[in-house]
Amino acid sequence: MVRRLVRALPLGVFVATAAASAQTNNPAGPPVARSNYALTNVRIVSAPGRVIERGTVVFVDGRIAAVGANVPIPAGVVRMDLAGYTVYPGLIDAATSIGLPNPNRVLPTAGDATAAPGRGGRGGQPLGRAGAAGPAPDLPEVEAGAEAADMFQPSDAELRALRAGGVTTVGLVFNGGIFPGRIGAALTGTQANSHLSLRTGAGQQVAFGTKRGGLYPSTGIGSVAFIRQAFLDAQYEGRVEKAFKAGIPGARPSNDPFSRALVPAATNAMQSWFVASDERQIGRVADIATEMELKNPVVVGSQEGWRAIPALKRMGATAVVSVMWPAPDSVTGRVFLAIGLGKSGTAPPTTAADTSEVRGNAAALLKAGVPVALASYGGASGANFRDRIRMAIAAGLSPDDALRAATVTPAALLGVTAAVGTIEVGKLANVVVVSGNDLFAAGSTIKHVFVEGRLY
Amino acid sequence: MRLTISSARAAFVAGVLAIPAVLGAQDVAIRNATIITIANGDIPNGTIVVRGGKITAVGANVAIPAGIRVIDGTGKFVMPGIIDAHSHAALEGGINEGSESVTPEVRVQVKNDDAVIYRALAGGVTAALQLHGSANTIGGQGNVVKMRWGASAEDMLFKGAFRIVKFALGENVTRASSTEPADQRRFPMTRMGVEFTVQYWFNKAKEYQKEWDDYRAGLKANPNAIMPRRDLRLEALSDILKGDLKVHSHSYRADEILMLIRVAEENGFKVHTFQHVLEGYKVADEMARHGAMASTFADMWAYKVEAWDAISFNMALMSSRGVVVSVNSDSDERIRRLYHEAGLGVRYGNMPVNEALKMITLNPARQLGVDKMTGTLETGKDGDIAVFSAHPFAPEAMVEYTLVDGKVLFDRSEGAALGKQAATGPGGNQ
Repeated sequence: MVRRLVRALPLGVFVATAAASAQTNNPAGPPVARSNYALTNVRIVSAPGRVIERGTVVFVDGRIAAVGANVPIPAGVVRMDLAGYTVYPGLIDAATSIGLPNPNRVLPTAGDATAAPGRGGRGGQPLGRAGAAGPAPDLPEVEAGAEAADMFQPSDAELRALRAGGVTTVGLVFNGGIFPGRIGAALTGTQANSHLSLRTGAGQQVAFGTKRGGLYPSTGIGSVAFIRQAFLDAQYEGRVEKAFKAGIPGARPSNDPFSRALVPAATNAMQSWFVASDERQIGRVADIATEMELKNPVVVGSQEGWRAIPALKRMGATAVVSVMWPAPDSVTGRVFLAIGLGKSGTAPPTTAADTSEVRGNAAALLKAGVPVALASYGGASGANFRDRIRMAIAAGLSPDDALRAATVTPAALLGVTAAVGTIEVGKLANVVVVSGNDLFAAGSTIKHVFVEGRLY
Repeated sequence: MRLTISSARAAFVAGVLAIPAVLGAQDVAIRNATIITIANGDIPNGTIVVRGGKITAVGANVAIPAGIRVIDGTGKFVMPGIIDAHSHAALEGGINEGSESVTPEVRVQVKNDDAVIYRALAGGVTAALQLHGSANTIGGQGNVVKMRWGASAEDMLFKGAFRIVKFALGENVTRASSTEPADQRRFPMTRMGVEFTVQYWFNKAKEYQKEWDDYRAGLKANPNAIMPRRDLRLEALSDILKGDLKVHSHSYRADEILMLIRVAEENGFKVHTFQHVLEGYKVADEMARHGAMASTFADMWAYKVEAWDAISFNMALMSSRGVVVSVNSDSDERIRRLYHEAGLGVRYGNMPVNEALKMITLNPARQLGVDKMTGTLETGKDGDIAVFSAHPFAPEAMVEYTLVDGKVLFDRSEGAALGKQAATGPGGNQ
């Protein structure tokens, strides 16, 4: 159920000719070729488990025009002989806060006109970025209608790092807040060449944040109550809206912008994306989702997902599993190994098995039947996304499952399956070309990354 | 039996992290001990048997089933697991949602791997009421937990216990110690304001109840009626009016205790238990008449202005007037030695020993709504047991074993752990 693809399908109109090597100078980065290509003699993994040992992929106008063992190559395209290489769908980092303003950021100094709370990025105000130097515009903790994709302003270095990790699409999830806004999806090309936003409204973000300035909720316990009440309010708003449209006397919506914006999530017309990392947080999400009858919520982070499998299954959740692993000795319940229950009182040293358990999170969840998408949320894997997925594979995740969790599953979760996730005709030309025949093999190197048909 | 680190690790790696089977056994007998039943006197040279987590036999002549673990109780004293009716141990996500003065929709959150739980077990504590703080006139809901070290947060919750909400009166609520200018402080700032706040919010709760009652009553006549907005705050207050949510109110002074009793009676709810209640001895008859219980400190006084008139005879005096009294910790430290606190009831006011022991067993069990399950050593109750090296009121007494649901979760021979691990949870007086 794709709601709104920001990018309409016939997008290559302005590329009038298919002339080779139209070079665009990007002052902040290397020149980026915008052209039509044929990758020939290449091994093609078009989707998890779908392999063409030797074939051709053709890109025209930023889209995949042909894939197969024997496909005609149109005239005028740039031919690249890639014998010895494998082409994969570009990876999708299902959740990152890179390039987004930060709802946790403290308010800038008074008098900064660009920093009106809650208005950054909308109404034409320029946006700063989380992690950028200097004062950054603030985001409110509660602005359910805000769109992450409208605010995505990564630096060229950040985009370069994402591409170097094989990532061509990102899911956009704010770092913090309570209802900071909606999940979006974006490409990792360069801003100078195209707009990056791929879609808005992919989900409603919920996090156990607090409000600043001593306002309610000021604590984690208050946050849970606030979230429950917000869903109830939106469900009520939904009932009244419906009755109003049906002409029932006395029905009058409050038209409170916050409740109104939350109606789709509260009535299951939009998925809720809860940020939760540890066992107890995930349990709290399950309690809220069950009480509010939220269908198939997404749990972003899920760093201790393997410890919360019953909770994840109870709510029918998809786990967006962060590859930014927690320290094994920080895992919930670690103290039980040291104190009582027959223990000596000394914390045991962290072992390879402990590390493997933490990194085996995705594998354990999939084995238990919890759908998994991989992400860098909670940190910035940058150029290491692929390397970190390799760690998950070493801890038990099958390479096919890893590829699925970094392509098809997040594409569906973000509602962008029509555009990305596999190498299929009509989809955006987002691919990764890697040496050898395994994207995740330790010795493999990424030779090319294409985003929307541009060669990086 | 001591488990090796490597086998424990294997359990952890397997994602189990459950108590290893051998230690999880819930069948155990303690023989030849002095058994302090609380309900039916002391049994010298007695035996107690726990099977499947429940007490199956207590007495002088009890057969021990074959094949179960037997602890030799020679010279030892066995009493019901101690219950702390006022704790802020093992919480996370904050203790006070103090941003607004009325927040009964909030609920405290268990931190199941806080080492303070094990420390409490070392003091013979098997259950506690985790309370919200006292910054609010009407604070958040608490949790009654069992000290099930090693269990998940959810599994620590004491099933069947009361739902309890914290109220507070006096200086903590009025933010008397706040250094902020008066115009930046939150209402209420006086005891008059606290009384008004309680009255105001119960008026609102009654309006809310009426809105829902009218909706339900009118549904047959008007099937198009829109279901009203659910308000978690007013719903909680409504639950108090219905008696489904029990009020435990932080209090010190006699005047504020009388105020809350009066406002509660005017609004048709009951103050289930007064917490701290340091001047309870002045108004014990009024509390008893209202049906309020009391959970207090043994000998803490003058640590703030409103605690000036506290006396150590408070427990004995309130008990003598028919108030059900418990003595609590309100502290991650004091939770280890509640049996000393109860003993002070004998020193100050000559409480009978069994009555003093009730202040940390049966009486808090009644205040938490778990007296059918624990609080005494009787057949059918949970296997929540503390085994002491001497009578718990003896100065040299130490807890040797603590059992929760028949599981030995504290064993003094493992006690080296206590000194090496600091509790990480919030603590101190609230």
